[in-house]
Amino acid sequence: MNKIKGVGIGLRHRHFKEFIENKPDVPWLEVHTENFFSKDSTSSKYLANIRQNYEISAHCVGMSLGSATLSCPVREQHLQKIKQTIAWLQPAMVSDHLSWSASDGVHYLPDLLPIPYTEEAFEVVTQNINHVQDVLQRQLLVENPSSYLAFVDSTMLEWDFLANLSKITGCGLLLDVNNIFVSAHNHGFDALAYLESIPVEAVKEIHLAGYSIDTIEGQEIYIDTHGQKVYDGVWQLYEKAIERFGAVPTLIEWDTDVPELSVLLDEKRKADAIIVKVLNKQIA
Amino acid sequence: MTQINKTNKKNDLAQQQRNFISDCLSGKLTTENTLMAPYIDSSSISAQGLMGIYQGNAIANITNSLSLTYPVIEKLVGQDFFKATCRQFILIHWPTSGNMDDYGAEFANFLAEFEHAKHLLYLKDVARLEWGFHQSSLSDDASVTDWSTLANVTDILQLHFILAPTVNLISSTFPIDKIWLLNQENTPSEDLADIDLGNDKNNQSDTLLLLFRQQLKTVILPVSQGEFSLLQAFDKGQPFELAIVGATNKQASFSVDDSLKKLIELGVVCGFIENN
Repeated sequence: MNKIKGVGIGLRHRHFKEFIENKPDVPWLEVHTENFFSKDSTSSKYLANIRQNYEISAHCVGMSLGSATLSCPVREQHLQKIKQTIAWLQPAMVSDHLSWSASDGVHYLPDLLPIPYTEEAFEVVTQNINHVQDVLQRQLLVENPSSYLAFVDSTMLEWDFLANLSKITGCGLLLDVNNIFVSAHNHGFDALAYLESIPVEAVKEIHLAGYSIDTIEGQEIYIDTHGQKVYDGVWQLYEKAIERFGAVPTLIEWDTDVPELSVLLDEKRKADAIIVKVLNKQIA
Repeated sequence: MTQINKTNKKNDLAQQQRNFISDCLSGKLTTENTLMAPYIDSSSISAQGLMGIYQGNAIANITNSLSLTYPVIEKLVGQDFFKATCRQFILIHWPTSGNMDDYGAEFANFLAEFEHAKHLLYLKDVARLEWGFHQSSLSDDASVTDWSTLANVTDILQLHFILAPTVNLISSTFPIDKIWLLNQENTPSEDLADIDLGNDKNNQSDTLLLLFRQQLKTVILPVSQGEFSLLQAFDKGQPFELAIVGATNKQASFSVDDSLKKLIELGVVCGFIENN
């Protein structure tokens, strides 16, 4: 049974002391696992203190599940560090992205890069997820990406790719509603159709965040920057997601220009209100 | 969703990913040099325009990581100059690990050679200090030593003292500790004119710094020439006797008893071994 319920907040450095001293009323927190690879580091000591009062979800950004090179020392080393961090952190959930960051085990980009939705990529990601779940000895949640380009050789739709991954590997899905909204705008697909194609039982967590808007060659592109409040269109899509998937644990993410904690708590209360609204509607 | 092309190029993914990283980290993208062009739908936006989004995001993410490690350098040169400098650094030093805490060790040497910054002679040493601070903050704690067993040692002069993993030793001909302190958020503003940034001190009174961690705080502690020499000798694994000779040669008034006691109490010297 999942120990995490309700709406949590992404824990960032500038809020460490506030969580230790004031213990704000938040049911759970999510951390970027890679920021706590050294168990004795100053950051890890703060987190260990906070962990005494909050359930934690470990969100990874560097397992590079879409890397074509299946096994390489750099990625194996990274996976072992994640395993060591999870061992002391004891998170309720562990997640990473349907994306890649490492090429040939030599070069690495700290970004969530897109994969083509081909049979080859499906095979690669399936093997990588199986390997990660074998090493970590637990279910991994895989997050849908936001993307700004489409590959000409894709033969599958993103939502079918994810649904099949979940079916074949037994991984759960972390549905980032903001990413669906961003990609739907950038690629012109129907965000609601995306939600309706995702198997209900696979979705274990939802993410909410803000995006920014850029203009490239006269075209408006949404960029997944996690530096703003959640947009109205994303809140509306979130309501539809709660209607379909139920009161799945939801996270307010904010990674750039992180504001005061009160801003994140306001966003959390908005998500709480939507969950209550949907559940009340369903009861009625 | 864009139009789906059913032709699937088998075993193409690895090459695509090499091209993707190359486009992100090779500098200005053009119609001719964008390697990802054959793979992506450019019906609305050109391939270099689309890859430019990823290039911008990647460089911004890496710059953000460098900014967290080198906040004083950023403050000293200003945000815009720092960003431009990072971009040049990133295009030469591509990240090779998924752990960005490992990234940026070469930044100090880069600054010393970077044509737009090399006249600021102190920057390299401030960057070395920040990298040392970063490393100290991330290091493992020392294991606990039972110091009462020191009484049973037959020849203390042949001992090898061990430094805590958080220890870093940094020397400079510039007052880098003062520069660092003046650029911390909570330091009361003082007159920068008190600090001589322009002149090498010809080794007359080098800044000798010991960095280590105490609980949640990383400490930057100026030490004497004798202490610095002693710590360097311990760091190299030299026996105590040789370390004392070196320290006394550097500083005639050096008191090894007082220094060793202080360094053990601070947790800087965290243990010893009898045989190398």
